[in-house]
Amino acid sequence: MSALLAIEEHRVGDVTVLRLSGRLELDAGDLALRAWIDRLIGEDRTRIVLDMQGVTRLDSAGIGMLVGKFLSVRRGGGMMKLLHLTARTNRLMDITKLVTVFETYQDEDEAVRSFTTGSTGDGG
Amino acid sequence: MTGRHILLVDDDRGLRHVLAALLTPAGHVVTAVGDGPEAIAALNGARFDIVLVDIGLPSMSGLEVLAHARSQPDPPLVIVMTADDTPETLLQAVKRQPYRYVRKPFAPNTVVQIIEDAVASASAAALSFEVISAKPEWLEILAPCSLEMADRLQSFVMHLEADLPAAVRESVAFAFRELLNNAIEWGGKLDPARKVRISCVRTRRMLIYRISDPGEGFDIDRLRHAATSNPVGEPMRHMDVREAQGIRPGGYGLALTRSLVDELIYNEARNEVMCIKHLD
Repeated sequence: MSALLAIEEHRVGDVTVLRLSGRLELDAGDLALRAWIDRLIGEDRTRIVLDMQGVTRLDSAGIGMLVGKFLSVRRGGGMMKLLHLTARTNRLMDITKLVTVFETYQDEDEAVRSFTTGSTGDGG
Repeated sequence: MTGRHILLVDDDRGLRHVLAALLTPAGHVVTAVGDGPEAIAALNGARFDIVLVDIGLPSMSGLEVLAHARSQPDPPLVIVMTADDTPETLLQAVKRQPYRYVRKPFAPNTVVQIIEDAVASASAAALSFEVISAKPEWLEILAPCSLEMADRLQSFVMHLEADLPAAVRESVAFAFRELLNNAIEWGGKLDPARKVRISCVRTRRMLIYRISDPGEGFDIDRLRHAATSNPVGEPMRHMDVREAQGIRPGGYGLALTRSLVDELIYNEARNEVMCIKHLD
């Protein structure tokens, strides 16, 4: 299946923000996200914010990839946080109890600052 | 993108112009016609890779154009565009094996994206399915185990449920897709030579999806790689098991599906599942 997830990257200090657009599903975006984050870990850039606002479809494989990369980043000594969860995504994260794991934010500045202030976000 | 020969059939001159203007710069060769007889003549005179056809044509139904296109020796993929979203029309189209069904009005880029998907996975896009029953209250399809086919089937099935409240529609769409992906990935091993059987039954009070896969089933007590086995307060515990077993990250499908529908019933072998959503 074609790569249906677009990823835009920008940096704010030592924090990398990835803006996701499109589908984060089985064989449609999940592998692209894995490769991107693995590259960041390889470059020792493990302060990561994922902007989820543009994610149009998310399935259990996409959620699994978020969790898998959250664990990879944490093992690399960093942290991955989520920004702009839609109501639909928030519902899925709530059902799976992952809201208790991920720090989530609605404001990018706040998400970036949290790496130094120690804030735990809206859901954490 | 590799250019394709596209036949565009619509009596709306403005839409023909917009779509041709989007598709031509992408490298496609577009032939645009305004009615069914012209489309039939074009199909008889040249080979097309993709046909975009409106159902509501002035002198001949687009369904006839679809049938004619699909009866060609090397049939093109047909994308049906229509403002007529009744289940009867959808099912008439589904019986003729369209690639996709797009409800009007749509953003022109929607069609461009569908064509890009078709081109990117050409061999999978050419797979066909068997329609066993095409009644609004009972749709039953036998389809190859391919994720691209899952995309197509989900699109058809969700058009059937267009009258449901958005929240219900969203829940059943998610559950249907999770169960179908499971059947295709685990039961069918992503092998298009194997088939998954899907029934969508609609009663006045409930919606039932029954999905039967060609696998041997599974033992639910051994699903340590699924989130349903996690202890309370540890929603990621199963990920260790998946990593140790070399399974891709995931395992949340069953937990999510159970929460989004009213009943989830497996047969004894667990290679067939029935998912029920109450509508009142």
